[in-house]
Amino acid sequence: AADPAVISPQDPTLLIGSSLTATCTVSADFHLRAEDLYWTLNGRRLPAASYTALGPTTLSVALARLNGSRQQSGDNLVCHSRDGGILAGSCLYVGLPPEKPVNISCWSRNMKDLTCTWAPGAEGETFLHTNYTLKYKLRWYGRDNTCQEYHTAGPYSCHIPKDLALFTPYEIWVEASNRLGVAVSDVVMLDILDVVTTDAPPDVHVSRVGDLEDQLSVRWSSPPALKDFLFQAKYQIQYRVEDSSEWKVVDDVGNQTSCRLAGLRPGTVYFVQVRCNPFGIYGSKRAGIWSDWSNPTAASTPRSERAAGGCDPKGGEQNTTLRRELKQFFGWVKKHAYGCSNLSIKLYDQWRVWLQKSHKTRNQV
Amino acid sequence: GDSWGIFAFLCAALCHLPAVPALNGTEELGAGQSIQKTYDLTRYLEHQLRTLAGTYLNYLGPPFNEPDFTPPRLARAERVPGATVDLELWRGLTDNARLAANYRAYSRLLCYLRALDGQAGTAELRHRLGHFCSSLQGLVLSIAGVMSSLGYPLPAGPTAAPGSPGAANDFLKKMDEFWLLKELQTWLWRSAKDFNRLKKKVPPAVVTLRLEARGF
Repeated sequence: AADPAVISPQDPTLLIGSSLTATCTVSADFHLRAEDLYWTLNGRRLPAASYTALGPTTLSVALARLNGSRQQSGDNLVCHSRDGGILAGSCLYVGLPPEKPVNISCWSRNMKDLTCTWAPGAEGETFLHTNYTLKYKLRWYGRDNTCQEYHTAGPYSCHIPKDLALFTPYEIWVEASNRLGVAVSDVVMLDILDVVTTDAPPDVHVSRVGDLEDQLSVRWSSPPALKDFLFQAKYQIQYRVEDSSEWKVVDDVGNQTSCRLAGLRPGTVYFVQVRCNPFGIYGSKRAGIWSDWSNPTAASTPRSERAAGGCDPKGGEQNTTLRRELKQFFGWVKKHAYGCSNLSIKLYDQWRVWLQKSHKTRNQV
Repeated sequence: GDSWGIFAFLCAALCHLPAVPALNGTEELGAGQSIQKTYDLTRYLEHQLRTLAGTYLNYLGPPFNEPDFTPPRLARAERVPGATVDLELWRGLTDNARLAANYRAYSRLLCYLRALDGQAGTAELRHRLGHFCSSLQGLVLSIAGVMSSLGYPLPAGPTAAPGSPGAANDFLKKMDEFWLLKELQTWLWRSAKDFNRLKKKVPPAVVTLRLEARGF
């Protein structure tokens, strides 16, 4: 059976702002005339004023200053018979050619792989489906390689899982293409050793320093994935009090795996995180990329037992609050701790952390 | 012409369904439980399809995502197996014919679904489609399991129907995709009834034997 009608142009690609005249010609078998037809675009009827009968069975429509396509599958321009039936349709692809992708940034996790992200060159790249291809090659060797695993770290990202060479720089670029054209980013040159990141330091422990009210001791381990490689780790610690969202950063930790925090408030719960930078891998003079922060660890500074200054009612209030808190705490312990042997001040601190998370949401920097 | 050749190749390459399912577990499961499992799968897929279809039709754009939209069903859309069937005919189906119809339909539908444009839509849409295809493959294998446990032979694998080329233009392709989703929906409704009917007909003797074997 013949198609009821034919639309021209069929599935055209157009620049935003351009105009289009489309025609619908009904097949002879269907006994319809131009007057019996009407047009819709994305389901909305187009005004009769824009129609022109070009012959007994051909109706045209004039579309001016087209906007970018409503959906990437194309705008639906449809020719209907008087009773609403669909005779034929054409998909209009209206958009802009892509611009050079920008801000290419890459990192390698433990020198095993490479992940790169980029940004589209322009805001208007969503009207048409735009394909991004990340390519890379070793600087002094001929072959171009194409990255295969996309969207691993957001919509504009690609992951190269293996076969990466060290000690020779890579040239990396991104090609953007859509129906209207192609654009190639500037080439970025990088050495894998300069963009290494690693896992957050494991085994972070925070403990009191004897009875000292204003200090806490932090210990951690070096990330194991890099233990066979020559590098000097740099660490950073950040900490905050329970009720604040302001982190204090300790920058000059160097490459030790322990640090003492001083100048703290007595009797306060602190949350602490550590991260690592694999500085100077294989003698490279450059810093690597900071790892993620470790999961927060909590600890509290001691509060000395001082005789309360007299007013009983005040003392009484404090006792009621504390008692209520402890009662809630022991209830929690019964549900979450296994056996009383685990009961320690650390458990109390962990509970404070849990309480904090369940009452408020905080963004960790 | 060219499009048919490409389509036939695509279908053959994408539809590598095993001739006999390696489902040793089904024998122990018993036909009754397999049928229940298959029934549950159709309900699950029906639920998944609602979200998937909504997202996909939005991607196709209006009028495809409008509530009562019914485009003409053109000759080329006939290659999608129809679920609608005369009531008496449906009642009169033997168990074998009933299962075979389901098996053939979903094998075909899976094939067409997999052939949907790999670049289509957002990464999220492609991910949903991929997930649905996996579940649908599970349904096909489940039906095969039921047939095998009842001693019925599996129908021959899906072949691209000769003389049914891919859609000639993008708009016709959208209409084909619309009807594919519609038929999937109708089949899942029908299958629930098919498997409900089969559930009642599985001889209780089969189940008893198994219990005896376990020393109950």
